[in-house]
Amino acid sequence: MFDSFLFMGLPYIALVVCVAGSIYRFRSHRYSYSALSSQFLESKNLRWGSIPWHIGLLVLLLIHLLPFIMPTAWSRLVSGKTALVVVEAIGFASAILALVGLLVLFFRRLINPYIQAVTSKMDLVILVLFLGQIVLGLITAATVRWGSQWATGTTTPYLWSLLTFKPDISYIVDMPAVVKAHIAGAWLIVLLIPFSRLVHIFSLPLEYLFRRPQQVIWNTPRFAEVIASDVPAVESRRLFLKGVTGMAAGGTLLSAGVLEKTVGFYRGPELTTEEKAAQLEENLKRLEMTAEEKKFELERLRNDYILVASLAELNDKVGKYFIDYQMRPALAFINPDGLPLLISAKCTHLGCTVQADMSDEGKILCPCHVSWFDVKTGAPNAGSPAASPLPILGWVVMDSENNIVASKEPGKPPTGAVLPELAKSCSVYIAREHSQA
Amino acid sequence: MSIKPAVIFNTVTSFIAERFPLEKMSYKSLVGKKEVPLHRMSWAYYMGGLALFFLMVQVVTGLMLLFYYKPTVSEAHASVDFITQHVTGGALVRNLHAWSSSAMILFVLVHMLTAFAMKAFEKPREVTWITGVVLLIITFAFGFTGYLLPWNQIAVNATKVGFQSIDEAGRYLPGSLSTLPTTIRETFQGEASLGQSTLTRFYVLHVVLLPLSLLGVLSLHLLSVQLHGMSKGVDERPKGYERFFPFFIIKDFSAWGIVFLVLFIIALCLPFEAFFAFPLFEPFNSLGSTPDGIKPEWYFFFVYYPLELLPFWMIMVGMTGLKLGLFLTPWIFKGTSRSTLRLIAGIAALYLIVITLFGQQIYEAIKGAH
Repeated sequence: MFDSFLFMGLPYIALVVCVAGSIYRFRSHRYSYSALSSQFLESKNLRWGSIPWHIGLLVLLLIHLLPFIMPTAWSRLVSGKTALVVVEAIGFASAILALVGLLVLFFRRLINPYIQAVTSKMDLVILVLFLGQIVLGLITAATVRWGSQWATGTTTPYLWSLLTFKPDISYIVDMPAVVKAHIAGAWLIVLLIPFSRLVHIFSLPLEYLFRRPQQVIWNTPRFAEVIASDVPAVESRRLFLKGVTGMAAGGTLLSAGVLEKTVGFYRGPELTTEEKAAQLEENLKRLEMTAEEKKFELERLRNDYILVASLAELNDKVGKYFIDYQMRPALAFINPDGLPLLISAKCTHLGCTVQADMSDEGKILCPCHVSWFDVKTGAPNAGSPAASPLPILGWVVMDSENNIVASKEPGKPPTGAVLPELAKSCSVYIAREHSQA
Repeated sequence: MSIKPAVIFNTVTSFIAERFPLEKMSYKSLVGKKEVPLHRMSWAYYMGGLALFFLMVQVVTGLMLLFYYKPTVSEAHASVDFITQHVTGGALVRNLHAWSSSAMILFVLVHMLTAFAMKAFEKPREVTWITGVVLLIITFAFGFTGYLLPWNQIAVNATKVGFQSIDEAGRYLPGSLSTLPTTIRETFQGEASLGQSTLTRFYVLHVVLLPLSLLGVLSLHLLSVQLHGMSKGVDERPKGYERFFPFFIIKDFSAWGIVFLVLFIIALCLPFEAFFAFPLFEPFNSLGSTPDGIKPEWYFFFVYYPLELLPFWMIMVGMTGLKLGLFLTPWIFKGTSRSTLRLIAGIAALYLIVITLFGQQIYEAIKGAH
């Protein structure tokens, strides 16, 4: 329970407070956004404290951040023994550098009366917290060895789980107490950022890189002319530099992004075996469909009779699609008298394929422009877009020994009959001689 | 009256010389000195440039799609699926191509209507206008041929419908001429019914022949635009003039930037298939029935819905008249005032907007709902 609070509740509280608080403070107390430098009051000791502290801390932050941002590259890096030792050594050295700096700052704050006067309780709290963090970090590095290696499997996924709003503390709950204290301490510091001088980490005085160098000029008539002529030139140069830098930076970022995607596009996707198999299966299915169509076509070029269906397969309400000798769709129904009824399914209006379901009035529908065709005659309904009837096709019924028992030529009534007891063994064919038209 | 060859020769050469004045073919004259009038119709000067921009998007994204597309009946649909589902940024590129094609046609149409309303076809700009009309036809041909390439239900069936209406024309032709449209259709189709040959032909048209012809005609179009400068556009005196380079062209580029941003966001967020029922995007099945809701692209609605509602011969006469009228516009409307031209263009625009947006409702109101 306590673990859940420390590693799930506290982090979110800390992050929310940090972000919201920092923004609030920037908007309401803009001029308090500062490191509250005491350089004017005391500068000698400050140099030996502040500089080592900041250098050490920045290196440490970087070493903590890299495994989090690019875990794969990082673990590849520290998998080499030499690199691992170098990284750990840099970490140790920076921690000691930061510790020394921090101690100098601490004592300076405790013994110098001027500094004492401007020291708040919060300053002492964060000093102690930082001291504790560094000591805990050093103990961790010394006792739970090779943190740069195990971090990618523990704290990195933990941090990502927080960041992606799927918090999972199982990565870290079983770690030694010193590590857990180090992590909790870090969240505490994040929490305190907006309430302390630590807000200065968010102020990036980039403007200083481009702003006009500050010149102190006596405000006398002698210099008035110099000021008037100098300012616009410097100002415009500064604006130009700013513009060029901004555009170059934006352009670089944009082209890097575009390039990354473009290269990815031309490289092609890297499919998993599963995806590759699915892809191949789909391709094969389509090829088989094409092959089947070609077979149909060949069959129609070679054979005098094409099988439509066995008589038993046919239904009087739902037609069966087949392909006629011209490779056009057609439908096969069965009449109440046991004889088949074959009708073209290519709409005479604009060539859509007519649907197979017969309505109660004995009509079939072309969905494209709503023409109803009578199945018996092929005639379209009055006022439909289709002007001419669907052709009624000829057919041949053969028994199992391929003897013709009944047939119909296009435009003529059927001849012959199918005895009900034979119906099961008979099949319907279309004949080439019927389709020469 | 006898016509002397020398007279004809002289007429032709002087016509060409006036349209392509050699003395103006210098950087100074084509770019440096060119000025753009400022008046209430000035926005229309950007329309052609925007159409050109979308064409450039089409070329770039089209070339990218070519890397993966396979123009065979059995593979076309699967290769398009592969692009959208697996290739990095493939869905975006395809979506850009689809949306940008619509945008290009939209701006080509607006460009044509505004050019008409501003009387930009007046002497010596006849060549600009006629090449423009050819470009319009090429653009529609791009749309028609590109629509088939994914080989899904709506593509193949809509193309079938489009082709079949060519056949219809045969009913109004006498004697042996009546089979001519069918012969023409089968020539384009490559075989008796829509199949692999059609796909191959459309592919060749879409990626080789049409782009090449577009390049040629477009060069002529742009050259004559620069040679003769922007037309005055309005009857009254313009408020002023703006130099083409660098002022107008920078504004032109800014407009391109803005439309690209809009296009990019739309292409990123809104798949163009989102407006259709899914079964229409299944692979074409020659053995099944045609699914409901087969329609051409929106930019063919202006001829599609009349085709549905009116007798075919009226459409045939109307379309022939429209095409002739467009080609002969510089001579037909030679003496028409700009305000009348604006009125005609306005009516045409109104017709296009109403039939494109409400075509289905009008159809259902007249024919009854399906």
